[in-house]
Amino acid sequence: MNKTPCVAALLAAVTSVALIGSAHADTKSMRIAFSNNYAGNSWRQAMLKSYDIVTKKAVADGIVAAADVFTTADKEVPTQAAQIQNLILQGYNAIVINASSPDALNGAIKQATDAGIVVVSFDGIVTEPSAWRVVVDFKDYGKQEVVQLAKWVKGGNLLEIRGLAGTSIDDAIHSGIAEGVKEHPEFKIVNSVEGDWDQTTAQKAIATVLPSLPEIVGIVDQGGDGYGAAQAFAAAGRKEPTIIMGNRQDELEWWKEQKAKNGYTTWSASIAPGVSTLAFWVAQQILDGHKDIPHDLLVPYLSFDQDNFEAALATIPKGGVASHEYTLEEAKQAIANNLKH
Amino acid sequence: MNSLLRRLLSQPWVWSYLGALLVWLAAIVFTHGYGAGGMISAGLALAVFSVITGVAQMFVITLGPGNVDLSLPANIGLASAVAMKVMGGSDSLIALGLGAALVSGIGIGVGNYLLIWLLRIPPIIATLSASFIIQSIGISYGRGLQIKPPPGFAEFTTVQLAGVPLLAIGTVVLTLGFAVLLHRTIYGRSVLAIGQNPRAAWLAGIAVERTRCFTYLLSGALGGICGALLAGYFRGSSLDIGDEYLLASIALVVIGGTSVSGGKANVTGLWGAGLFLVLLLTMLNTFGVSAGIRYVVTGLVIIGVIVAAGGEKAR
Repeated sequence: MNKTPCVAALLAAVTSVALIGSAHADTKSMRIAFSNNYAGNSWRQAMLKSYDIVTKKAVADGIVAAADVFTTADKEVPTQAAQIQNLILQGYNAIVINASSPDALNGAIKQATDAGIVVVSFDGIVTEPSAWRVVVDFKDYGKQEVVQLAKWVKGGNLLEIRGLAGTSIDDAIHSGIAEGVKEHPEFKIVNSVEGDWDQTTAQKAIATVLPSLPEIVGIVDQGGDGYGAAQAFAAAGRKEPTIIMGNRQDELEWWKEQKAKNGYTTWSASIAPGVSTLAFWVAQQILDGHKDIPHDLLVPYLSFDQDNFEAALATIPKGGVASHEYTLEEAKQAIANNLKH
Repeated sequence: MNSLLRRLLSQPWVWSYLGALLVWLAAIVFTHGYGAGGMISAGLALAVFSVITGVAQMFVITLGPGNVDLSLPANIGLASAVAMKVMGGSDSLIALGLGAALVSGIGIGVGNYLLIWLLRIPPIIATLSASFIIQSIGISYGRGLQIKPPPGFAEFTTVQLAGVPLLAIGTVVLTLGFAVLLHRTIYGRSVLAIGQNPRAAWLAGIAVERTRCFTYLLSGALGGICGALLAGYFRGSSLDIGDEYLLASIALVVIGGTSVSGGKANVTGLWGAGLFLVLLLTMLNTFGVSAGIRYVVTGLVIIGVIVAAGGEKAR
């Protein structure tokens, strides 16, 4: 019962020592947990794999004592909330989290931070102010889609594929695309469908609207849906427009085939699943006494163009997605970039 | 003439077809007739999968109150991965892959029935907990990776004959077969009898447990086949490829005029309901409404159709 204030006091003492002295708090004895709410798709699998590689090494090198991964069996909020409560009781020093909801978990997150636990969210972020957020600049990603498209497509009708409705990511990318279209009035978005970042959902949604659509020159989307879009056009017997890709192996493979066949040109970008490792380092750095790290960290997305996507494709496992694992140095650099502005 | 119309309207399946016609008309009025044929064609292609799962769910639900197969989505996801892995992208292994998906599905059916029969767990709980186990197997088996189908199999799932998907024709034949199975065989009649009153059915000498066992096996097998076909159509397996077919299969059964309390099944209505749901999505996507409005309208329209169909029956 009285464990919580005790831990908090201890951690407060540790951090105050760290802030006073120039020497950093030692994270050697600290344990970081990863609370994950889903593992069933290629992105999440790559995320876990990257995390595993980096944290295993960190534990072996004695940087942290433990970095355990906990994945819930379903995508439900209550399950993850219960899991967080367990992690608090187990006395972890920090929790890295890919959250099932931006706000529904805030109660559990607040309990954790009140207990002195550092919480760093990424991808599925939490809005609780006491937690940290590692966010990709999704708005710029959306805008770049149109900017890139304008480089080799003169103009015309666009189809937009939206992500999971109600998420902050979907809103951000969508507003970025809208901004891009505003700057490039030669493009017009004639319809938008919901693809949920999923090939199957996107293909199905496009199949239903395609008969009613005029000629489409380009598809702006949110990643994971590009291959499905290509299949929907092929199934309807229509020529595939320029589809912005999302770093998935099947998308890039399809792009490569088309490029070889007819010089198909496009651009690909997405949030790298390895951003999980950045979140891990951020948690480690905060435990290390760097309390000045801003609570909202903006990190770049991973993008490929006509010239370098094939090299990247060779390194992605079949059915997987392009990733990038952060080293401690790169993480420090990413944090420093955020301190500048 | 009037009595014929009245007889037609008293059929529970008519409403689903009327609904499908109505939303299709609304969509083509919006586009001024543009793409009318394409919509039907896409509608048929997508309805195939919900009809297959609908048949599976219909047989299970007809067994009577409490019977439902909630493991279908997990079953479909695992079967899609199994089929694609066994096929390994090679056209010569298509039959083997389909067989493997079928075995995977039947295995899940056996597991479901054992949970229900041996451990006496209510079917809702049994199939739901089974689906967690299946999902875990699927994650460790497929590692969440998308495996592509062989070109021949992919082609087969999307090929069209004069605008009509071959798969839809095949599924119509299949559903006709299931209609015969339901209405003209001892097994089908047993399912209906058990759904009306399991005790009376048992007293009448019907092999109740054997029928229940076969029904869960059938549902599992159809889920397995559906998984393989989905992986072909959507050019790749994925563990959540079947997620939407839990709600879709139950909605199809209900909208199609099958009694939720069991004992009364309707195969014809499954196609009407399947087309209705896909064309409803087509209409809303064509209108370009936002996701929120789409969910609300879908919910309201489904309630409306059920009320309309149910209201007629009550008279």
